[in-house]
Amino acid sequence: MKKICILIFLSLLPLVTRAAQDITQLEGSFKVGPAIILIIILSSFVLVGIVFRAKDTTDYYAAGRSISRVGSGMAIASNWMSAASFLGMAALMYGAGYHGLAYVVGWTGGYVLLLILMAGQIRRYGKYTAADFIGDRYYSQTLRTISAVIAIVISIAYAVGQFGGIGLLFGWVMGINYPLAVIIGGSVVLLYTLISGMLGVTKNMQIQYVIIITSFMVPLFILTAKYDYFWLLPQIGYGTVVQDIVEGIKIIDKPELYNSLGHHFAIVPSPEYAMPWDPSTRQTFFQWMAIAFSLMIGTAGLPHVIQRFYVVPKARDARWSVVWGLFFICLLYWSAPVYSAFGKILSSNPEVGKLAADAIVVYTAQLGDVNPLIVGLLAAGGVSAAFSTVSGLLVSGSSAFAHDLYVKVIDPEAKPKTQMLIARLGTVLMAIIITAIAMADLALIAQLVAIAFSMAGCTIFPLFLLGIWWSGSNRAGAKAGLIAGSIVTLISLTYLIGNRAGWILPYNDFITYYLGAWYFAWIGAPLAIATNIIVSLFTEETPVAIRKFLIEKVHS
Amino acid sequence: METEEYRISFFKPTTQQAKKNRTLIVQLFIIWAVAIFGFQILLKILEKPVPEEALIVFSHAWERIETGEATSPDYQAAARSMLQVMGKTTIEPNEYDALKDGVGWALSELYPDAELADIQADVRNLFRLREQITTLQDERYLEIKEVIISKAAPVLGIGENTLLAQILPVGLDEDLPVLSEENRIRIPAIMSLYLIHNRSVLTDTIFLGFPFHYFYTSVFLLVFFIGLCWVYCYRTDRLHARLNFLEQID
Repeated sequence: MKKICILIFLSLLPLVTRAAQDITQLEGSFKVGPAIILIIILSSFVLVGIVFRAKDTTDYYAAGRSISRVGSGMAIASNWMSAASFLGMAALMYGAGYHGLAYVVGWTGGYVLLLILMAGQIRRYGKYTAADFIGDRYYSQTLRTISAVIAIVISIAYAVGQFGGIGLLFGWVMGINYPLAVIIGGSVVLLYTLISGMLGVTKNMQIQYVIIITSFMVPLFILTAKYDYFWLLPQIGYGTVVQDIVEGIKIIDKPELYNSLGHHFAIVPSPEYAMPWDPSTRQTFFQWMAIAFSLMIGTAGLPHVIQRFYVVPKARDARWSVVWGLFFICLLYWSAPVYSAFGKILSSNPEVGKLAADAIVVYTAQLGDVNPLIVGLLAAGGVSAAFSTVSGLLVSGSSAFAHDLYVKVIDPEAKPKTQMLIARLGTVLMAIIITAIAMADLALIAQLVAIAFSMAGCTIFPLFLLGIWWSGSNRAGAKAGLIAGSIVTLISLTYLIGNRAGWILPYNDFITYYLGAWYFAWIGAPLAIATNIIVSLFTEETPVAIRKFLIEKVHS
Repeated sequence: METEEYRISFFKPTTQQAKKNRTLIVQLFIIWAVAIFGFQILLKILEKPVPEEALIVFSHAWERIETGEATSPDYQAAARSMLQVMGKTTIEPNEYDALKDGVGWALSELYPDAELADIQADVRNLFRLREQITTLQDERYLEIKEVIISKAAPVLGIGENTLLAQILPVGLDEDLPVLSEENRIRIPAIMSLYLIHNRSVLTDTIFLGFPFHYFYTSVFLLVFFIGLCWVYCYRTDRLHARLNFLEQID
C-alpha cells in the first residue's frame, strides 16, 4: 500500500509542478495544482479511515477509549478547528476589525469554563453522548429524546457553516459554482465519515491537525518575510502590520512592494480595523460582549466537543487533553488575524473590488503572490479543517440518532450491527439536510457556526452545569429550563429567518439587536439556568440513587 | 439521614477535596472574567471619539462649500478627504458611490470647462475597458489610468505617485459635474461614520508593534487562557495527590 501511494504521488508530481503556473486570477477556472493536492490529502484521509475504521459500536462512538492526552488534544483541536476557525475568523476581522476578536476570545475562553466546570466530571459520569448524560442524570426518557434531537439540530446548524466552507473552497479549486461545489464536497465528506467512523476519525484528526496547522502557517512566514515584517514569529510580527493599517502606508514607504495585481503595498489610514467597536463596522460594545459570552458558554455545551472527553481513558486525561487541545487551537487562533491584516492591505485598492470575506485567507495568499502550490495547500488545509469538524459532527449527530433515539427509545434490544446501520443512515440523512441548507448561503461561515453555539449555550450547557454541580436540579427543573432556553432560541431564529425573508415582525429592531442570532445565549442561558433552579426548588427532589451516583462517581 | 448525606452543591461542598476544588474554581473564574470582560469594560470607559485629520479638513472645507465661500483649496481638500474614505475596504458600495459622486463633482468645479468633456470621456473609456479586460495589467487600461491621473491629480492637489492618485481613476463618477441632492446631504454623515474612531490610552500605546488593546485581546488573552487551564490541571493533580484522592475509572 505504501509503495502504491509513493508511486501515485511520484506520477502526479510533474503535473503538480506544471500546474503551479495556472493561477493568475483570484477566481477563475479549474486549478490543477490545488486540485491534485486536495485529492492527495483527501485520499490519505480515507486510507487512514479504512486502516483505523470502527470495528464495533464502542469504537464508533468513543474510539475504544484508547487515545492519549496529546493525541486527544490534537483531536480536540482538529475537531474544533473548523472552516469557521480557518476561514471565518479572518473573514470577520477583515470585515469588522476588532469586533472579530470577540469570536477569537469566545472560542478560546470557553475552554477554561469547559475545563474547570465540566471536563473531568463528564468523563467520570461515564456516558457516551450528551443525551445519554441528560437522560440519565434527569431520569427522563423524554429529556433524553429531546436532548438527542437538540444535539442533532446543533450538529446540523454547526455543520451548515462547514459545508459552506467546503463549498467555497471546492468551488475555488474546481472553478465551479457554489451549489454544485457544496454537493460535491458534501458527498466526499459523507463518504469519508461513513468509511471511517470515530476511531478512524480520531486518528485522522491528528493527521488533519498537522496538515491544517502547517498549511495555515507556511504562507504567513512567506507573507511577513516578503513584505518586510518580522517573519520569525509572524503571530507577533504582524503587530506592526496592524499599526501600519491604523496609520496608513504611503507608496514611498515601501515603493518596491506590490500585490499580485500590480498594486502598491499601501493603504490609507484605517484605524477602524483595530479600534474597538468602531462605528463604521456597525457593531457595538454590547454585541462584542454578548458574542464573546455566548460563544464561551456554547463551547461548554456543544455535544460534539463534550463527546471528545469520553474518548480519553481517565478524568485526569480529560483535563489535560483540554490544555493540549487549547494550545493546539491557539496556534491557529494567533495566526488567523495575520491573514486579515495582510488581506486588508493587499486588497485595499478599490480596483480589487469586494472580495468574498469567507475566502480572504486564500485571497490574501494569492494577492501576496505566494506560490500557487502553497496557496493550493492552504485551500486543502481549509477543506481539511471543515472535514475534520464535519466528520466529528456527523458522528456526534448519528450517535444521538442511533444510540439515544433508536436504541434507548425505539428498540433497546437492537443488535450492534443494526445500531451501526442506523448510525450510518442517520449520517446520510443529516448530510442531505445540511447540504440543502448550506446551498442557501445564509450568512458568513463564522456567524452560521455561532448560531449553533448559542443554541448549545441555551439548551445543553445549563443542563450539564446544574446536572453536575447541583443535585437539587431535578427532572421538572430541567424540563422547564430547557423550555425557557428553547423559547429564546426559537424567537431569535424566527427573527433571523424573518429578516432574511423580508418579513417585518413585531419589535423587529429591538429583538434583532438584543436577541441576535449569533449571540442570543447571553440572555437565554442565564434564563434557562434561573428557570431550572426555581422550578427544581418547588418540585419533587432528585431521587437518592442519582444523588448517590453524583457523589460517589462524579465528585469522589 | 442517608438522603441528607447525598446532596451536593457547588456552593456547599462537604468534603475537603470539594472545598479546595471549589475555591480553585472560584479563583480561576474570577480571574478569567476580569481578564476578559473587565478589560473590555475598561476600554469602553476610557474611550473617546477621535476624528481622523481628514475629517477635520473635510468638515472645514465642506462648510465653506455649503455656504458658497469655497475656494479651490476647499474643493481640493474635500475631494482628497473623500478619496481617503473611498480607500477604506469596509466602505459600503452605496456609500462609495455617493463619495464617488462627490469627488467627481469637486473635480468638475475645479477643472477647466473646455477640457471637462475630455476627461469625462477618459473615465467612461476606463470603465468600458474594465468590463472587457481579463487582467488589471492590460496595457490599454493602464495607459488610460495614467492619463486620468496626470490630468486630474494635479487639479485636486494630489501628487501623481501617491496612493490617492492610484485610487483616483476608479474613484471618479462618469457624470462628473452632477452631485445629486441626496448625496450632498449624505456625504458629511458618511465621512463622520468612517473617520471617527473610539480611542484611548489603551489603543494608542504601542506594545510589541501592536496597539496595546489589540495585543491584549488577540495574543495575550489566549496565552492567559492556556495558563489558567494549566494552573487548574496542575493544582488539581497536586490536590488529589495530597489528599490521596483516586479518581474512579469506569
